[in-house]
Amino acid sequence: MTTSASLTDSIRHATAALAAVACISTAASAADDETLARGEYLLHAGGCISCHTGDEDDAPPLAGGHALESPFGVFYSPNITPDTETGIGDWSDEDFLTAFWEGKNPDGDHYFPAFPYTSYTGMSRDDLLALKAYLFSIEPVRRENQEHDLWPIMSSRFAAGLWKARYFDDGRFEPDPEQSDEWNRGAYLVRHLGHCGECHTPRSSLGALETDEELAGNPELTEDESAPNITSDRDNGIGRWSVSDIDYFLEVGMLPDGDFTGSSMGPVIEDNTSHLTREDRRAIAVYLKSVPPQ
Amino acid sequence: MKRKGIGILAGLAATVVVAMPVLADTTPEDAKDYRAAVMTAFRGHIGAASMIARGLVENDGQLVGHAQGLASSAKELANLWPAGSDVNESESLPAIWEEPEKFAEAIDAMVTATDAFVAAAESGDAEAIGGAFRNVGMSCRGCHDNFRKSD
Repeated sequence: MTTSASLTDSIRHATAALAAVACISTAASAADDETLARGEYLLHAGGCISCHTGDEDDAPPLAGGHALESPFGVFYSPNITPDTETGIGDWSDEDFLTAFWEGKNPDGDHYFPAFPYTSYTGMSRDDLLALKAYLFSIEPVRRENQEHDLWPIMSSRFAAGLWKARYFDDGRFEPDPEQSDEWNRGAYLVRHLGHCGECHTPRSSLGALETDEELAGNPELTEDESAPNITSDRDNGIGRWSVSDIDYFLEVGMLPDGDFTGSSMGPVIEDNTSHLTREDRRAIAVYLKSVPPQ
Repeated sequence: MKRKGIGILAGLAATVVVAMPVLADTTPEDAKDYRAAVMTAFRGHIGAASMIARGLVENDGQLVGHAQGLASSAKELANLWPAGSDVNESESLPAIWEEPEKFAEAIDAMVTATDAFVAAAESGDAEAIGGAFRNVGMSCRGCHDNFRKSD
């Protein structure tokens, strides 16, 4: 809550600054305005805030420090504000694209797949550059990144490289011409931008997504939480949910039986899916309902 | 004299009846089952209200009733977790009894949100209803996040 509120404040400042610039400049900045609005939307759709904001109540948004527990140890998300020393302020467009598409930092080192480039690799160039434009429009925050706390064997960037060589496919999303535009939009949101499978698809012992069990649930999300099956299976998954049920769940968090989820999906709804347009939430629902039952 | 005696007796009987819920020897199991029944009622009202709020069914004045059901049940929440009622596969977390002030705050948020939902339902304004319903949901989660076991 605090996170969202303070983010909203930062966004308001950025928007105010932007409005001031717009007053004294030409049509070109109107396009920028649109790009920034789109970038902000993508920031929500991509779930950047929940991971890249620290866990303390007054954590500055997007300045990193969130602890992401995994079977291999704890990852601490980095600062993605445009601070040139501790954030991403000196990244070029190419640096940004390479991070998302290839899972490499500007020095060419491999990222651990805790950063879900395995999903983001499908994102379009336009979307990524709009996202970058937005990130570069917010207030830079100086905050040093915290070292990950991993099992020794998993802790090197070299290990991350080996892992990638075996499990990672670099490639942009290709719409399926057999399917509707709505389905394709949903597929892009679920598989890539929203990276739903990073939590909801089971993983092998080495942490690779079991792609033939897409969205079938991850019983070992963390030590004490599992991520449910969200395939179209009527008993194990969400096959009994209507498109409206899914849309509404992603908007307010209500399960079709009237319960409200108190799980790590809560912040995802708050920071991510509740900010999407109804059309995008319905596209997600249409796609999810087509995922083979497991 | 006789009449007065009957009056006293009747008065005593009334006292006993009124006091029953307190005097009754409620077992921890019954306390837990009653709590679960109230939670089921919450889910029922919320599920029905959400279908009206989403425009899936006609709102023929029933939304106010569902909202009142929620607001009324919210006001008994504070009494539903007597000490020792963590039985029968209860989903309650120890934090309920360990952090009573924080728990009371979460319940207060539910009372406030459901009262506001009644007001919004009475106003008939779709936007106000949507916003108030979302706040009810947030108050449900406010408790479930910290005080209910996750699956």
